[in-house]
Amino acid sequence: MNISYNWLSQYVDISCGVETLAAKLTMAGIEVEAIERSGGIPEGIVVGEILERKQHPDADKLSVCRVSNGKEELQVVCGAPNCDAGSKVPLATIGATLTDKSSGESFKIKKSKLRGVESHGMLCSGRELGLDDDHSGLLILDSALKTGTPLAELFPGDTMFELEVTPNRPDWLSHWGVARDLACLLDKDAALPEIKTPVPAKNEDTANLVTVLDQELCPRYTARVIRNVKVAESPEWLKERLLSIGLRPINNVVDITNFVLMELGHPLHAFDLDKLSGKRIVVRRAADGEKMTMLDDSKLALKPNHLVIADAEKPVALAGIMGGLDSGVTDSTVNVLLESAAFFTSNIRASSRELGISSDSSHRFERGIDWNMVETASDRATSLILELAGGELVNELVDIQGRKPEFKPVVCRFERIRKLTGVDLSNCRIVDIFKKLRLDVSGIDEIKCVVTPPSFRLDIEREADLAEEVARINGLDAVPVVPVTSKSVASFSKDAYTGLQGLRDELTALGLYECLHYSTVSDKSALSDSRFVSEDVIRMDNPLSLDLVCLRPSLLGEMLATVERNISRKNLDLQLFEIDNVFCGNPQKFPEERLECCIVLTGHKHPERFSAERGELYDFYDLKGLTEAWFAARGIEKFRFEKAEDDRFAPGRCAAVMIEGKCAGHIGELNSRYSTKFRSVYPIFLGVFETSAILKAKLESPLYSPLAMFPSTTRDVAFLADQSLQHQAVVDFIRGARLKNLEKVELFDIFTDEKAVGAGKKSMAYTLTFRSSERTLTDKEVNEAFDKLREKLSAELKVELR
Amino acid sequence: MSNPIIQKIDSALSDAGAKLLNAVTEAEIEEVRIEILGRNGLFPALSKEMGAVQPEDRKAVGQAFNTGRTRFQELLDGAKQRLAAGSGAKSCDELDLTLPGRLRKLGHKHPVTKVIDDSVAIFRRMGFIVADGPEIETVYHNFDALNTPADHPSRDPGDTFYFKDGRLLRTQTSPVQIRVMESQEPPVRIVAPGRCFRRDTPDATHSMNFHQIEGLYIDRDVSLADLKSILQAYARELFGPNVSIRLRPHFFPFTEPSVEYDFSCIMCGGKGCNVCKQSGWLEIAGAGMVDPNVLKAVGYDPEIWSGFAFGMGIERIAMIRYRINDIRLLYENDTRFLEQF
Repeated sequence: MNISYNWLSQYVDISCGVETLAAKLTMAGIEVEAIERSGGIPEGIVVGEILERKQHPDADKLSVCRVSNGKEELQVVCGAPNCDAGSKVPLATIGATLTDKSSGESFKIKKSKLRGVESHGMLCSGRELGLDDDHSGLLILDSALKTGTPLAELFPGDTMFELEVTPNRPDWLSHWGVARDLACLLDKDAALPEIKTPVPAKNEDTANLVTVLDQELCPRYTARVIRNVKVAESPEWLKERLLSIGLRPINNVVDITNFVLMELGHPLHAFDLDKLSGKRIVVRRAADGEKMTMLDDSKLALKPNHLVIADAEKPVALAGIMGGLDSGVTDSTVNVLLESAAFFTSNIRASSRELGISSDSSHRFERGIDWNMVETASDRATSLILELAGGELVNELVDIQGRKPEFKPVVCRFERIRKLTGVDLSNCRIVDIFKKLRLDVSGIDEIKCVVTPPSFRLDIEREADLAEEVARINGLDAVPVVPVTSKSVASFSKDAYTGLQGLRDELTALGLYECLHYSTVSDKSALSDSRFVSEDVIRMDNPLSLDLVCLRPSLLGEMLATVERNISRKNLDLQLFEIDNVFCGNPQKFPEERLECCIVLTGHKHPERFSAERGELYDFYDLKGLTEAWFAARGIEKFRFEKAEDDRFAPGRCAAVMIEGKCAGHIGELNSRYSTKFRSVYPIFLGVFETSAILKAKLESPLYSPLAMFPSTTRDVAFLADQSLQHQAVVDFIRGARLKNLEKVELFDIFTDEKAVGAGKKSMAYTLTFRSSERTLTDKEVNEAFDKLREKLSAELKVELR
Repeated sequence: MSNPIIQKIDSALSDAGAKLLNAVTEAEIEEVRIEILGRNGLFPALSKEMGAVQPEDRKAVGQAFNTGRTRFQELLDGAKQRLAAGSGAKSCDELDLTLPGRLRKLGHKHPVTKVIDDSVAIFRRMGFIVADGPEIETVYHNFDALNTPADHPSRDPGDTFYFKDGRLLRTQTSPVQIRVMESQEPPVRIVAPGRCFRRDTPDATHSMNFHQIEGLYIDRDVSLADLKSILQAYARELFGPNVSIRLRPHFFPFTEPSVEYDFSCIMCGGKGCNVCKQSGWLEIAGAGMVDPNVLKAVGYDPEIWSGFAFGMGIERIAMIRYRINDIRLLYENDTRFLEQF
């Protein structure tokens, strides 16, 4: 909502100035979102009197004027057609600075020569001063003005505040409402101009003037008829008021209703009585399908849940929201029916939203209006119409009332207020704040008082609401900062976040970069994970765009999009992970929400290194090693990798990661159907884990094993084996031989080379480490064990020893 | 004073050690080997002197002789391996200290995660525990129990994502408050970080996926002063000891009194700059004393219990902290962006 500084100053003393006022408002809960200054005539511009006008000797369109500034006579060259002798006009004297409002550029008035004639100043148009848009000639001032008077005194600038009013405080949606609260904050008095109930000149029969058919939706409807008005342009002061808050003046009657709306916060509507069929008002629900054309020319098809103001035949306004096209006050209007009413807030809000029409009026009605203001606003507007548009009031106020809202007294315990606000306020101070806020206080004793809110405070229903008022008016800056204490801790147990934090710590320690993607994804992205079919995916009913309609069933789709995006930006070396929620609509497959973990490795392992290492690319064993290191760091011991086929991975290049016999995820090389479109030549390795399986895995607490005291001895064994022989089978075989004092079995070389080792064969070489915890082993006993193993390898594993 | 033989062994070891460390060719290593172990080398020479050693020194000298020879062999082997592995300053005498180091770099947590982690750590130090809740929520938990009127604009399908079954994507972390209070008796002292969703068209400051951290403290006699103190402590832990906090009255359906809170601008220290739009303050988020209706909805007696709740946008904090000017960068996952944090 916009308010004007000058307008506001009519009701309360705000001589504190614009900045202070803005700060006060913001700290009182009426946030000032913008401050816009307007008008404001710069220094050095005075009322000048043109004493004489002569034609410029060398320019047809220029005049040379003798101008008085009140103290001396100056020669000024002027190009305006209306610089007639005797006129009083704005004179910008030398040194004054003018600003072009449209371009924002400033220029300083200097002594100058125009076509050879000296000019000691400039005579100004309204536009040059930023007062209006008229640039056809000089701004002609009132001839009664004293020459030399600074124009700043005649045209004081104004400041418009753009306020953010919270929905609980509709009473702030007017100048008077803001003034009322400000008075309390500034410790000043606020007063409205006296508003008298206008006395009718006649007493026409009003028995059939207004019929309210639905008192639930329209609990109060008042009307007055003013005859023989002269609809015309509003006087300057009224136009200025509306312009100062960005409203467009229309005609005096409409402007008055808008003025009262912005002054008192109560929406009014003026009908052209002669355009009302039957010259009467019926407040009713619309018939199903009933049609209506609005002021803004939009056409509506109404339903019975919409309340309308109708005449004898048809709707003439959408109650509380907007008038109809044909029933409003125009230049030809003679007789006016002035409506001031109260409507059911929820109904206005629902209709406004459903029909997509909102207005200054609906904005207030849907938040709630002041019951008592219904009559006051009508009084104010009627008086102004009679004053500015003439005519005569021909009836007493027609006032049809249903159930009046109740304002229940609220008990306020002083101690409770102090405890909630944390501010040590005296009982007196609390009561004082209530009184300043125009709340009715009674039953004051040592421990409590009883507060009854006035009709404009719809937000005060409970003690907590009163605590808010006390905190607000006393100032939140006065709330002390106290030592942080906790009298209680709700739980010591480890929370879920600790687990997630641990996983993220570990994966970043392993060199991965964490990604974060949208949960809302496209169908294509959602279904890129072949584990899911369309029916498994949860879709939003009202997506923002058809692109983002699904909740991601897996992290894969968006992670691959990130890989693609990075590759297209030439970030070819990637080590990424994400741990976050994914969603599934098929309870047979997965719970609705669960945590997944996705890892991607591709490109160079060590792009920052030099020499041969620089060229090393990630391969499957890097991802496997990362998984092993990760699990080892967590303390997961019972896990292994099993051959698996999964459509997300390249055939034969995937492993299921089994923890305690259950699948916790898969690792492998990404299926090329995803990666062919990426502009990368490097293979991409993907890991997808069920986060809960990792978090819930049994963690083995490490047990200390004594450090070896005696030296170890090593023996190497190398052999040729069939390609199909797997490393683990060799290790298991060697372990199975139960050699005495065998500590470690390590693979140190593996290679295939058709020429050297033959087709379908591979060479494998292992180092065996022997150590006893009791003594230094002799060569002899180690050799015995080693030779036994060599025999067994050859005989039982059928390998060819080298 | 130790035996002269032991001294000779020690000094020979240290000389040979230095030579071997700097050796860049096999020949240099061999040269050292001959000098020490060769037929006319140190050890054969010393073995001839052993006979002249006093009996009381004999044991110590013998031991030094043996370990010295073993150690020397190790040095020789090490030097050979080093050369074989191709590392070391093969062709130049000095190290180039400007060559990139070889330790594997650590990864990077996402800036949103970093802010959540740091925030959680700060609140944990102040006695809060971390709670969580589902992202697909019921209307009851997201709105009704939070005292949000039935026709409140935030419930509008224009602002909130709904599903066919009537549930929604939570628009705030506040429903976690309700879930926690439903599941336990007061006192409660929790924070709940998590993902939220609003039907906002994405731009530099809006994202339909974003994160919040919610705080809730319910106990006897909790006041606005406690709220202000905790938020100030948080601000200072996160942004430094000179940050101050300001509360402004505001309105939220689930708190009364309600406030918005600002931190003094971390760029200009409160003097006014472009970032704080000359105001000296950065708007952070909303908070307030839990509305009695919310307490009643979960069966807590507002006469006995009071408390505060606050929420803040993690992306907002991250953008301030790291001077990020476009929220969309946070969801693009360009590695050049990620590795900056």
